[in-house]
Amino acid sequence: MTFFRLAWRNAWRKPLRTLLLVVCVTVAFLIYGLTASFLAGSQGAAGGSDDILGVMSAAGRSTPMPQAMMARIASTPGVATVTYTTRLRGFVGVEKNVVSLTATDPAALLAINGRELGLTAELVGSLGAARDRVLVGRALADAQGWTVGQHVAITAFRMARQDGGRDWRFEIAGIFEGGNASTDTYFMIGRYDYINTARARDKDTVDAFILRPRDGVSTSELVARIDAAFANSASPTRTQSEKQFLEAFLRQYADVGLIIDLVVGASFTTLLLIVVNTMVFAIRERTFEIGLLKTLGVSRRRILSLVLGETLLIFLVGGILGLALARLGSGIAGPTLGLVLSLLVLAKALALILGLGLATGALPAANAMRTPVTAAFRTR
Amino acid sequence: MTDTNDQPPYIDLKGIRKGYRIGAEMVSIFSSLDLAIAGGEFVAIMGPSGSGKSTLLNMLAGIDGPDGGQLRIGGKRLDQMGESARSAWRAHNMGIVFQFYNLLPMLTAAENVELPLLLKPLSARERRIRTEKVLDLVGLAGREKQYPTLMSGGQQQRVGIARAIVSDPGLLLCDEPTGDLDRKSADEILAMLGFLNKEMGKTIVMVTHDPQAARHASRTLHLDKGEFVEERSAA
Repeated sequence: MTFFRLAWRNAWRKPLRTLLLVVCVTVAFLIYGLTASFLAGSQGAAGGSDDILGVMSAAGRSTPMPQAMMARIASTPGVATVTYTTRLRGFVGVEKNVVSLTATDPAALLAINGRELGLTAELVGSLGAARDRVLVGRALADAQGWTVGQHVAITAFRMARQDGGRDWRFEIAGIFEGGNASTDTYFMIGRYDYINTARARDKDTVDAFILRPRDGVSTSELVARIDAAFANSASPTRTQSEKQFLEAFLRQYADVGLIIDLVVGASFTTLLLIVVNTMVFAIRERTFEIGLLKTLGVSRRRILSLVLGETLLIFLVGGILGLALARLGSGIAGPTLGLVLSLLVLAKALALILGLGLATGALPAANAMRTPVTAAFRTR
Repeated sequence: MTDTNDQPPYIDLKGIRKGYRIGAEMVSIFSSLDLAIAGGEFVAIMGPSGSGKSTLLNMLAGIDGPDGGQLRIGGKRLDQMGESARSAWRAHNMGIVFQFYNLLPMLTAAENVELPLLLKPLSARERRIRTEKVLDLVGLAGREKQYPTLMSGGQQQRVGIARAIVSDPGLLLCDEPTGDLDRKSADEILAMLGFLNKEMGKTIVMVTHDPQAARHASRTLHLDKGEFVEERSAA
């Protein structure tokens, strides 16, 4: 027998009640685990980099800019490397099966963003054999069931070919894995020269320029310098870091972070109220026994620890179960939904488990600690 | 009430005052209670309901304090101790046997008995040995893993006694220990208390309504309206 065992036995005296509390905590931490994984994953802005800058038209993301602007951007002091991209959005088979292709200079992209995307010289080299070759991200390849060497067709939403059709055919030359689990790999990388030659309109234009600043250069100063250089041109620019871009992109729909905070906050508040209420009643039912323990010489501090230990146990069992389910969920749906249950998320969740366990136990524990033995004995 | 020995009393109450506030009214239980019990005595306290027996027992157990006077047990002034100090004192110096046993239903007999030992610096092995020893002493060897709900009243009270003596306290307070038992079980429990008093030297204070139970004590005190009105020693 130990006091831990006593707390454990107390916690499971009414198995159904405890089980329901554990389920309650499990669901709350499952929600927390999945939403926090979403934020930490590529669907959130956390996957974006502050070191990579994107230059887009100030008129909007879909407004093309002349490719010729690249020379001026490249010569801007502080720019290490730069390349251009054009996005081809379309679908495979059915319209809801949306995919996108980033048409670029793959060798330049390797220099700028190769590490983050998991690109290698061999992968980029494999695009050289034919202009219609593409690299497919791991998440997209897994979701579509594509393999290297396979020919795929994308029906573009807007970008028409010179022949009037909108079907673009590609050969998969390789699959890039992403630099880490949070990297968005649900897209393809293709050659700009192929797309540019074959498309009917907007030739020699790009959707964005991507650049990496030189080491030690302030990104905010560089942003201001580039935008100032094009401020009075025919194509004014808006330069942002990749992270800022992702945040702005997500905010087009809603403030995802705020929504997630509200959902998690609401679920935790509800959880807290349920558990506090249940624990207060559970401890009140045992007032007599708490008086008995005090009579045996158990100190007020130990009574406090016993009750806090009981709520902590419920939170630990439920919380760890919830996080395990969230880990399972992010493992299964992670590549497609961009869920990453990182160590940081787990550490925060563990801190929450401990914090909430102590917070919910505080009121019943304080009540138990304060109750005089004589008053406790009158409850039978 | 004083004991007859010349030794300083083990339990020494002088001028104890105690009252309770009921609404706006203050109800006095004891106005000036004196009591002396020598070490190793077996004292029964009898009296009608409301005479102050339970209040007296609560004060002797240190779970309620007097409003005035001196309460000394084993040379220690309980009336001057704070709650934490009284808790620690209880854990080491006193065991209580209750009328309704008050065992924790989710613990086995052995675990119930072991509870007070958790407050002592003993290893798990030492705790187990002492638990088995007292369960054997009260005649419950082999029933260590049985839950109280599966035991008879007499067996539960034996577990209660084992729990009260497992930390080897000098003082045993018994609150109607046979009040919930049939005659046969009651006699067994009283015989056990007599054994603990005579063979192990425990000082026992027993509150009871049962004159037959009181006969097992070496001295019987009658309490009425907060005062001792009669004293009878065993022949």
